[in-house]
Amino acid sequence: MTIDATMVGRSYTAAESYQVGREKIREFADAIGDPNPAYIGDDAVAPPTFAFMLGSRALEQLLNDEELGLRLDRIVHGAQKFSYTRPIKAGDDIAATATITTVRKAGDVEVIMYETALTTVDGDPIATSTSTISHNRGES
Amino acid sequence: MIEVGTELPPLTVTFRREDLVRYAGASGDFNPIHWSDRMAGALGLPGVIAHGMLTMASAARVVTDWISDPADLLEYGVRFTKPVVVPDDDKGVNVTFSAKVDKVTDGRAEIDITAVAGEEKVLGRARAVVRVQ
Repeated sequence: MTIDATMVGRSYTAAESYQVGREKIREFADAIGDPNPAYIGDDAVAPPTFAFMLGSRALEQLLNDEELGLRLDRIVHGAQKFSYTRPIKAGDDIAATATITTVRKAGDVEVIMYETALTTVDGDPIATSTSTISHNRGES
Repeated sequence: MIEVGTELPPLTVTFRREDLVRYAGASGDFNPIHWSDRMAGALGLPGVIAHGMLTMASAARVVTDWISDPADLLEYGVRFTKPVVVPDDDKGVNVTFSAKVDKVTDGRAEIDITAVAGEEKVLGRARAVVRVQ
């Protein structure tokens, strides 16, 4: 129950795809206080950081990998990056796969980088999310 | 004409506890450090802090308000360097975002974004790449 460089390359796919609804986009845009008209209506696109939410089911699988032994309440989000092939839009049905790309250790702290590929259910790329998280395994 | 040094219109947002609750609900991120002072304190934080992804979403507005088509945003990344503490009062905390074009090449502009709460920068290496004519 630890994480080390041998875990690089492990991949976790969300069990279900995520169907993007226009009302969810509107709710998210409201929650970030963004009145941009692009986020409203039948042709709505999602705000750029909406992509993070779409990776959460894949991340859940990663956190549930008992061999890694990670605990959500010991994780701090250190950095986040997105690359977009196209905006996410209402009506999209999106598959997410998270892959561990880097593991670094410094004492009790493990710095883990993972990349989440967001694609249509047919495999066409939409966006890639790269997250860096720090996990503290110390007693404290 | 977009050139190096072009400044984007800045933006100031206010985060109150209510905004964190709303973001938690919309995003599904119910980590208690974003709503419970007790849990935030147990992790050594001075109090409830804003979701990093909420700060990141607000910072993106400086860029998406400036480009006319959201499809022109190609890349966007930040480091979460300092927590944004949100007091349990009516005033909340103000975060001010500014941005400047740092590089223009091959139809792409790279934009550096700065986020300040109080006197402190709360994001590091915040950068967006957009498609330009």
